[in-house]
Amino acid sequence: QDEGGLVEYFRTQMGKDPDMASAVAAIRTLLEFLKRDQGETLFGLRESLTSATDCLTGVDSSVAVSSAGELFLRFISLTSLEHQDLSQCKKVMEERGELFLQKISMSRAKVAKLCHTFIKDGAKILTHSYSRVVLRVLEKAAAEKKRFSVYVTESQPDAAGEQMAAALRKLDVPVTVVLDAAVGAVVEKVDLVIVGAEGVVESGGIINKIGTYQMAVCSKAHNKLFYVVAESFKFVRLYPLNQQDVPDKFKYKADTLRSSQSLSEEHPVIDYTPPSLITLLFTDLGVLTPSAVSDELIKLYL
Amino acid sequence: MPGADKNTDLSERIEAFLADLKRGGTGAGPLRGSAETARETTALLRRITAQARWSSAGDLMEIIRKEGRRMTAAQPSETTVGNMVRRVLKIIREEYARSRGSSEETDQQESLHKLLTSGGLSEENFRQHFPTLKANVIEAINELLTELEGTTYNIAMQALEHIHSNEVIMTIGRSRTVEDFLKDAARKRKFHVIVAECAPFCQGHKMATSLSQAEIETTVIPDAAIFAVMSRVNKVIIGTQTVLANGGLRAVNGTHTLALAAKHHSTPLIVCAPMFKLSPQVPYFPFSPSHSYEQRSVTHSLWWVRREILSKVNVYCPVFDYVPPELITLFISNIGGNAPSYIYRLMSELYHPEDHEL
Repeated sequence: QDEGGLVEYFRTQMGKDPDMASAVAAIRTLLEFLKRDQGETLFGLRESLTSATDCLTGVDSSVAVSSAGELFLRFISLTSLEHQDLSQCKKVMEERGELFLQKISMSRAKVAKLCHTFIKDGAKILTHSYSRVVLRVLEKAAAEKKRFSVYVTESQPDAAGEQMAAALRKLDVPVTVVLDAAVGAVVEKVDLVIVGAEGVVESGGIINKIGTYQMAVCSKAHNKLFYVVAESFKFVRLYPLNQQDVPDKFKYKADTLRSSQSLSEEHPVIDYTPPSLITLLFTDLGVLTPSAVSDELIKLYL
Repeated sequence: MPGADKNTDLSERIEAFLADLKRGGTGAGPLRGSAETARETTALLRRITAQARWSSAGDLMEIIRKEGRRMTAAQPSETTVGNMVRRVLKIIREEYARSRGSSEETDQQESLHKLLTSGGLSEENFRQHFPTLKANVIEAINELLTELEGTTYNIAMQALEHIHSNEVIMTIGRSRTVEDFLKDAARKRKFHVIVAECAPFCQGHKMATSLSQAEIETTVIPDAAIFAVMSRVNKVIIGTQTVLANGGLRAVNGTHTLALAAKHHSTPLIVCAPMFKLSPQVPYFPFSPSHSYEQRSVTHSLWWVRREILSKVNVYCPVFDYVPPELITLFISNIGGNAPSYIYRLMSELYHPEDHEL
């Protein structure tokens, strides 16, 4: 019913703090929705939350928003198991929701604290596109007086790599922007590759901006370390076996999905990197090997 | 006063242990196996629990952590010391939780589930006093000691499942665990062992002597021949100094070469490592020279080089190698066989995440 208001709230949240992850903004919006909800039954609440999540994915089709929605729904189910009375339940949900938001806003700091020790002095790092988590990690390493240089891919079609380069220049880190096509040629020069993730799938693989898979294959061919940094709320219950298995609703931007005639003529904006190409994942739950990711998901959803 | 005597006695023992650790590292003192180090560390920790003055679990954990830091600083490459300290810390946490009667002892790990359902920023500060805690902790440490004593036997017991008749097994250097493993299989099966000598200290020679005394057909080869001989080998069985958190190894110098040769020939690589060698460390810079911690002096083995040349030569002799988890087929430990990708799970059962950093 209040779809317009919801979308407005989401957009304002994203606009207020451009540094905030879209998943966090989504959870904040859903929490607000919960506070305003007038429903009388739990079932009705779940239904309206599902439609609210669908509405949000219509604005921002990234995997992170969808996984945030599922996480929130799970949060509701777990909390409702403890309290029978809906109004009391809602109060508990609101309190816990605020607490949850507090915790996940500290996730990036935790990840940075874990990962920056893996960057040694004099390291040459390759990264892909613009990732706020990777930026945070590099900020922390620079603050610890480590000297390192960064190669970042241009990352078309939106040239997000330029944004990353600008942010790194502000930190006085020597940075070179390379063409997406130059990844294979550049990989032999670097010591390690660090990328962010939009979603971490059950197998321990990741879904990230198009071009990540290429980078992973090249770094495997050259035996380079491939590190992924991601917060734990990006873990999503998908198990793609190849690129085709990734649902179309994530592959293309929301506007493209709505307006295009035939998707086969559109360019996908994300790709899937299988776990065999990833060395380690740095999350706020600790340093994980790809095989440990499914354990975490099972602990939550079962 | 009896209290002061106990205290000085305790600190004397700790100092003696620290001195022993330091000496063991420089090669000057008696080279002890890691099993002995683990046992002695645990016995010392039990003594600290029994004799030191503490009133709550938090105090005890602080004392143990402090002593643990000193012990690991004395000999950083001997990781079993740190591992035992972490095991004891986990024991204390579990006993404390049990005394409190809370059922959340299993849920102490950070997880998505815990993030969603916790009602408040719970800061467990372990301040409550329980009179039975001391006895419970000491009993649990005794159980740990019994487990430690049985590790080599438990590993050797699994030998018959992995070694078949007329097989050619390759190993490197000298590992007491692998020695017992092979000797146990030799009771019922006939097989051939090839030992890479592992220069420059050539521990492989001692291994070969010991194995041949147990009536096992043994051949010693120089390290350079590993790749050449690998095509005739059925299995590679090695020991290790440490098992790292990502499933990789810190093992004696030359093991990485052996692992790469085995991978090339698709020969299974089996690592016999007891659980106390499992360390929560993740290798920071796995293939860089600084990772091998220490180097040993080898001037005594270069006696054949003329003196005027020797002073101009830089000798580089790292003690340990890093072996990445992709090269390893199976870990055999006292609790059974596991794949390297499962190591993270075993680790979460042995240690609490907050104890990873002492």
